[in-house]
Amino acid sequence: MKRILLTIITLVGVSTAVFSQTINWRSFNAKQKHIIGLEAGWDYGLTFGAGYGYRLKTKLPILLNAAYSFPSGKTLFDDLKVKGGVQVEACRVGGFSATLKAHGILRRFENSYARLVNFGSAFAAVAGYYRPKWHAAGTIGFDKAIATHISHSSGYLENVPNAQSAWYVPTGGNFHYGIQAGISWRKTDVSIALGRMISQGFETAPFIPYYANLGVNLRF
Amino acid sequence: MFKIFCFSLLFGSILFTACKKELSLREPGALVLKTVDQDASLPSILVAGTQFHAETFGNPNDPIIIVLHGGPGSDYRYLLNCKAFSDEGYFVVFYDQRGSGLSKRHDKNTYKINIMENDLDDVVNYYRKSSDQKVFLLGHSWGAMLATAYINAHLEKINGAILGEPGGLVWQDVLDYVGRAQDFSITSETLNNTTYLDQFITGRGDDHDVLDYKFTLWAAADEAEDSPVGNEGLLPFWRNGAVVNRTMFELADKDGFDWVSNLKNFKTKILFVYSANNKAYGMAHAQKVSSAYPNVQLLKIDDAGHDMLSFPRGWQNFYPTGLQYFNALK
Repeated sequence: MKRILLTIITLVGVSTAVFSQTINWRSFNAKQKHIIGLEAGWDYGLTFGAGYGYRLKTKLPILLNAAYSFPSGKTLFDDLKVKGGVQVEACRVGGFSATLKAHGILRRFENSYARLVNFGSAFAAVAGYYRPKWHAAGTIGFDKAIATHISHSSGYLENVPNAQSAWYVPTGGNFHYGIQAGISWRKTDVSIALGRMISQGFETAPFIPYYANLGVNLRF
Repeated sequence: MFKIFCFSLLFGSILFTACKKELSLREPGALVLKTVDQDASLPSILVAGTQFHAETFGNPNDPIIIVLHGGPGSDYRYLLNCKAFSDEGYFVVFYDQRGSGLSKRHDKNTYKINIMENDLDDVVNYYRKSSDQKVFLLGHSWGAMLATAYINAHLEKINGAILGEPGGLVWQDVLDYVGRAQDFSITSETLNNTTYLDQFITGRGDDHDVLDYKFTLWAAADEAEDSPVGNEGLLPFWRNGAVVNRTMFELADKDGFDWVSNLKNFKTKILFVYSANNKAYGMAHAQKVSSAYPNVQLLKIDDAGHDMLSFPRGWQNFYPTGLQYFNALK
């Protein structure tokens, strides 16, 4: 079922485009308030996602957005991530622009030993050169796993009987940095992002310490 | 939209604050079992300047079988079937290797590539009552690699060995095997269960409790249905030592090792066992790896995967031949 769903989303994403968090403010004209998108990529796993953004009527460009993503696999809804937050174009000088992002995150993970539900936050800065039909930028950010509720399966408790199912605070964080680029036409943006991740403390890294993303937005 | 976002934050905050007192991942015993230096009730020995979690079964004057677990970093719990040899006139010794299982943890910068081999020599000397007392090794996976390293360096001290699916005895064979054993599809639940966890839990280099817990959750991948290693289910464990595991792999990759140059002089027959259901191993790899020894008996364990000594069917298919092998050298 999950395989079918992700295939559909991938096909839709490739053929019509949808949402990514990558915004080109120069192609996002004042008459457009909404942006929807689909994305696929490597984000701690092969993930697929969809999102929606609403542009506020403010002098400073501000976008409120929410996104849902999930990793591939045969079990639907056992792992997922929901993000909600804001993007602000904080600085613009000629074609150069800097955007700040802040998001709250709810995410879930489950395997045969444990189920983890986490509240976290993510902050990022994106700066680069933006034209109405294309952009290229660098990005840096931090994703903090603030509080995680861990509950263990009977399989884990057979081995570690006193393992405590509880809230754990904090549980981790990863920095990321990379590049992104995109092209825009009419109501559509297509973007890619590539980068590297390292865990807080700079001594360890995620199992696969890279991220990559292909996203498509539709503005209206 | 903005209201929904605020409501979500408020709801999350209420949910979080309404719960019981939160814990730290570093709380000893909260997520992984305490080690021998944290829990005095655990059986242990003080050897080689550290404290090992260790147990013995049988008469201390009988021929010794030292059981060596895999990993590096796992523990001997999954090999406890081997205590059956104590009913047949053997003194069976189990210990969790340095930094592994319930043995005392050590920081990354304290490890050397041959430290486990030196520890094993001290363990042999600790339990051996006289030079006449025979010593056998029974090593599984990494434990079989360690057994080989020890035999290569101490030909005269070992009277026989059973080796169960060592990844390799030279580094390239290890890399080849591990690559096949972890060959999961990029779209698989198993691979994503391993990688997706990285956004929930992170630890620094010597953050033992955190890294051990995370490593244990990762280890579930070995027992997944799509794992090439073909196990029957979840393996029993006490604690997986993440720091020792990563460090030993890094040391091997960086410095390499020589565990085979003297094996041609080890004339005693080795019983080399491999499993029928481990698709990453197979007869070809078993023949290649075991060829470092001049005298080898190959045994395929039917109806079992990599951890063939742990699950009932594999154990039943192994034990009679294993006992026969030891008895022949006793």
